[in-house]
Amino acid sequence: MKRLLVASILILGAGAARAADLTALWAERLKCVVAVDYFTETESERRMTTAYGVAIDAKGTIVLPPSAVDARTAPRQLRDFKVYLPGEASGSDAAYLGQDVYTGWHFVRADAATASRLTPVTAWAARGPSPVPSLADPVWGIGLRSKDEDFTPYVLQSHVALVEELPQKTAIAQEEVAGPGLPVFNASGVFVGLAASSFGQTFLQFTRLDRSGTPIILVNVEESSAFVLADEVLANLGRVPKSVSGRPLAWLGAYGLEPMEREVANFLKLSSQSGAVVSEVLEDSPAEKAGMKDHDIILAIDGRPLPRFRPDRVVTDYVDREVERRKPGDAMALTVLRGGDRLEIRAVLGEEPKLIREAERKYLERIGLTIREFVYGDAVARRIKTGEATGVMVHYVKPNSPAALAGLQAEDWIKEVDGAPVHAFSEASVRLGTIEADTHRTEFVLLVSHGSDTAILRVKLR
Amino acid sequence: MEILIVNLSPARSTLGRFARAGRLRAGLAALVALAVPTAVPAAGVSRGFSRLLDAVVRIDVREVAFDEGARRFEASIGSGVVLSDDGLVLTNAHVASPRAVEIGITLSSLERVDAKLVGWDHWTDLALLRIDMEGVRRRGLKFTHAEFGDSDKLFPGQTVYAVGTPYGLTRTVTRGIISNTRVYFEADHGVNGYETGLFNTWLQTDAAINPGNSGGPLVSDDGRVVGITSRGYMGANNLGFAIPANTARRIVSDLVRAGAVTRSYIGIVPGALQDLEGFYALALDTGMLINSVDPGSPAARAGLQGGDILLAINGQPVDGRYPEQLPPIQNLIASQPVGSSLAFTVKRGGATSTVKVVTERLESSIGEEWVLDRWGLGVRKVSRAYAREHQLTDDTGVIVIGVQPGYPADVAGLQPGDIVMKINRKPVGSLDVVKEAHEAYARKPEAMLFEAERSRRVSLFIVKP
Repeated sequence: MKRLLVASILILGAGAARAADLTALWAERLKCVVAVDYFTETESERRMTTAYGVAIDAKGTIVLPPSAVDARTAPRQLRDFKVYLPGEASGSDAAYLGQDVYTGWHFVRADAATASRLTPVTAWAARGPSPVPSLADPVWGIGLRSKDEDFTPYVLQSHVALVEELPQKTAIAQEEVAGPGLPVFNASGVFVGLAASSFGQTFLQFTRLDRSGTPIILVNVEESSAFVLADEVLANLGRVPKSVSGRPLAWLGAYGLEPMEREVANFLKLSSQSGAVVSEVLEDSPAEKAGMKDHDIILAIDGRPLPRFRPDRVVTDYVDREVERRKPGDAMALTVLRGGDRLEIRAVLGEEPKLIREAERKYLERIGLTIREFVYGDAVARRIKTGEATGVMVHYVKPNSPAALAGLQAEDWIKEVDGAPVHAFSEASVRLGTIEADTHRTEFVLLVSHGSDTAILRVKLR
Repeated sequence: MEILIVNLSPARSTLGRFARAGRLRAGLAALVALAVPTAVPAAGVSRGFSRLLDAVVRIDVREVAFDEGARRFEASIGSGVVLSDDGLVLTNAHVASPRAVEIGITLSSLERVDAKLVGWDHWTDLALLRIDMEGVRRRGLKFTHAEFGDSDKLFPGQTVYAVGTPYGLTRTVTRGIISNTRVYFEADHGVNGYETGLFNTWLQTDAAINPGNSGGPLVSDDGRVVGITSRGYMGANNLGFAIPANTARRIVSDLVRAGAVTRSYIGIVPGALQDLEGFYALALDTGMLINSVDPGSPAARAGLQGGDILLAINGQPVDGRYPEQLPPIQNLIASQPVGSSLAFTVKRGGATSTVKVVTERLESSIGEEWVLDRWGLGVRKVSRAYAREHQLTDDTGVIVIGVQPGYPADVAGLQPGDIVMKINRKPVGSLDVVKEAHEAYARKPEAMLFEAERSRRVSLFIVKP
């Protein structure tokens, strides 16, 4: 079906009035797009992922969309990045630079030889403010076929249907207009935006057996009809991470933001604005230090009331981005509603505690287990004080291994090894490492916590 | 192969039709002598056996349910056995619960009389009913009552009979043997969502037991009730389970006396020690492993931890080597009076010490349920046990168990599983808070602000006309 769609659009493109212009524009602008592939290495497999990216500077820096890398993956598991130019069968090595939390973009840098063959997308940006496409404006972009088709480029064309703040200014075209992460241009070839991840469209599926029609959602993952407008993109091209961890990361510690629905806003006589309910204020967080309480409703940031979005739930992204665009140490003035009272709170943002993807890990092959350092997020998930946070987490259990047969599961929390508590990751790592290396050992015993229960598990090694 | 253990429970009266998996229930009326299998010499003629058959009744129950956000009634059928001349009838807790609004009993004479619930105990899946004796006397009806046998004397291979109404086939007697006298299983939601099996083991039989046998007796040759048929493996061949008579006898006496079984709770989850004796340096057949201690429970306050070995209770040694040995130990603790102080001898590492644990009253994690008609909202109180299991700060709030489509709660966006914490900023400390808010709404319908948690995330909802 997708092939048919592509074919029909190619024909449309060929038959369009500005065919000659477009061909020339297209050939030039093709120089800013690439395909990138890389491997994710886990204990038991090596998995390849392909993404599309756009060159943003003369050094060969490439921006990949947020969806290009699974957020749970540790950067050190990402291996062997390669950059491919459209239509070429072989790629060149590239380095992963990390993710910028505010835009969500991943940054990759191509080698010098490849960089010299690329033209940054900024070459086609407008001088001054970028044009904001109007309704029904024609726009076009580039799509790339898959690796076995040498990432052959093709053209996609559509018209703007809607411009909305989500919370970034985003245009939605009538049809797919570019591969996700690839640029979109207007009729004269000016860069007007970067294609976001596509979103699902609902269809009714009729079959001979089911004539009532079952609603299904189809997502075209290779092409997108939504693009973030150029000025939002161009303003952030400098956010290349200083390290693969993406740090520094600003942290407020207001957990579980939920949008204030329109009905609730009206009830609270706040119909002209929006708000975000804070489910929990995290222990020792900047929010807690500033005096924020569970269930406070954030109404304004730095005196600016939270704007109304369509749909309401976009407001939580808005608040998150307000934190993410700041740096640790920056102040954030918050107006919150608590009970019936409006309060002013001034938080000084901190550095985000170590994330699960940054936690230390160790794979014990004979036992069939990867242990992971217990980090702040684990304490939050288990509703415990960080002071009670001893032990290590089970990150992975190899199927049919001694650990699996003993009943160990990922996300179990190991508190004791052989009857003695394990306090830190390093200690667990040494003690389990010793057991792993001791080929005379026939069994050992773990005390693990799973949900609100604990259990003694006997791991038989032979 | 995955096998599902289900209650042999309710059927709408349609013969042989599954109403809902696990909710097939059927009952048995009297059995006529002709129906007794001729190939069984002893039972066919035993006076005790025919007397038993006259004591087996069919039970028709109509109960209220709140899980669709409306007051809804469900009708079902089960079996039971008359225990006394003054009209006590024993059945399963999953046949007759406190939600029953109408209980009808069909005697072996095929006459129908009303009955009331005396009490239930979902932990052992037993319920006790009382026949309306006024009506029995007025109409001059007659019935006999059955006698309990000693279930401790049963042996594997002993012949037993199950009497019930499988798939609505009334007056069905099936024959088999005791396959196992002591089977262990517990289920968190085994009796219509309530916990079961913690305090008793089960009899296993190969007498054909099908959905519909629930609450009927398992009897020996001489017609004595040795068990109450209750559960079976779906999709297996003749793997049926019954509550032993000796357990039932004890529960019946509590239900008669107090209308409920009061148990002590200390908050430990035991584990079988099997194969761990070496690690804990224990002699065989000594001690019970404490796998887990409920946070905030009496055991936690006494300083017990997962991984401790319980050696003795009040000086009496315990032996929890095999899973089958755990229910009796649990029952020993549970049968102490609430508030008693128990001396636990506990081994941790190389050291042995004795700690005092003061018991609390055992509660189900399933709280009281109610429906708020005008909102189309069915709720269940958060119990202390539920709060503990789900690591909630306290037992504030009611859990949404159902919303009626198109009604205010549904339109507001409330969903089953949400925990309503506040209504118009007033904390929901009890079901009464919700009922009062609902009454106020019924008097003068206007918008109300609900604060609810869904997987730890707090949202606000407007419930309005």
